[in-house]
Amino acid sequence: MLPFFEWCDGLAMSQAYRESLYLFALTQCLHLVAVTTFVGAIAIVDLRLLGWGPVRQSRAELARSAQRILLWAGLAVLVTGIPQFTANALSSYSRSPVFAFKMALLAVALVFTATVRRWVTLADERRLPSWVPRAVGAVSLALWMGVTIGGRMITFYG
Amino acid sequence: MPSIVPALEWLEGLAWTTAIRESAWGYPILETAHVAGIVAFAGLVIMMDLRLVGLAFTYAPMTQIQRRLFPWQMVGLAASTATGLLLCCIDPLRYYRNVFFWVKLVLFTLAGLNALAFHLKTYRMAERWDEDPHVAATARRAGAVSLVLWSATIISGRLIAYNWFG
Repeated sequence: MLPFFEWCDGLAMSQAYRESLYLFALTQCLHLVAVTTFVGAIAIVDLRLLGWGPVRQSRAELARSAQRILLWAGLAVLVTGIPQFTANALSSYSRSPVFAFKMALLAVALVFTATVRRWVTLADERRLPSWVPRAVGAVSLALWMGVTIGGRMITFYG
Repeated sequence: MPSIVPALEWLEGLAWTTAIRESAWGYPILETAHVAGIVAFAGLVIMMDLRLVGLAFTYAPMTQIQRRLFPWQMVGLAASTATGLLLCCIDPLRYYRNVFFWVKLVLFTLAGLNALAFHLKTYRMAERWDEDPHVAATARRAGAVSLVLWSATIISGRLIAYNWFG
């Protein structure tokens, strides 16, 4: 992995981020707003799966509506996350256990959301036993809150 | 005008605030719980706002979305407010001297007043346009203002970590 971290470190963008007083901070701010929007779009559907969210819309309708927000907010999270990573890839992220944990959890959350959670939200509601959507909603909420909490902890236990 | 600084110094010197401030886990746990509460609260508020401005969930009745999300928004708000107050108590002078902290408090108040005005006035007349994908202009405006104010509150809160004008 070291050559990759070195490559990130040498990018012109990384250099610009390290030299600017404001760029990094402003990117962090936008990252947080994007994360909040993303988690909101996750949570509204998860609450619905748990039986606690808006119930007049079907699970599939609600999930389809939330999906557009997820994609746009997810893109914003990525765009604001990448420069934060490359600027400090070599100096801190390459040896941060919390960052590694966050990324591993993120990978699990993404796969879970794109597979199990997607199948369950789009499935015919009458054909699933009621514990299935509840379990999926609880796992999804725990995974994404875990990623959020992991992200915040990087600063403290980098 | 008497200064508030001696009171803040007294608060900072108390045994329990000192203990939390100096412990390795106190501040990180409070700060992380604060962010988790904000993300839950503001994330669900933003979903409601996106419905109001007509960008998402347009086929769900507006009042139904709001009624079902409201308890969870309040759980997030309670968690972030409680942890936020504790954070202020353990390091009061730091926040007192930080311009972003005051900007955040003003924005938070404005966002709260906007939400209150919406609930007391606009929301009461919701029956007429509840099922409509395009809600009344006043409600759309309230949603847009809410999106801007809560985002700005989050941004100024994040900037408290920086003391550019301190």
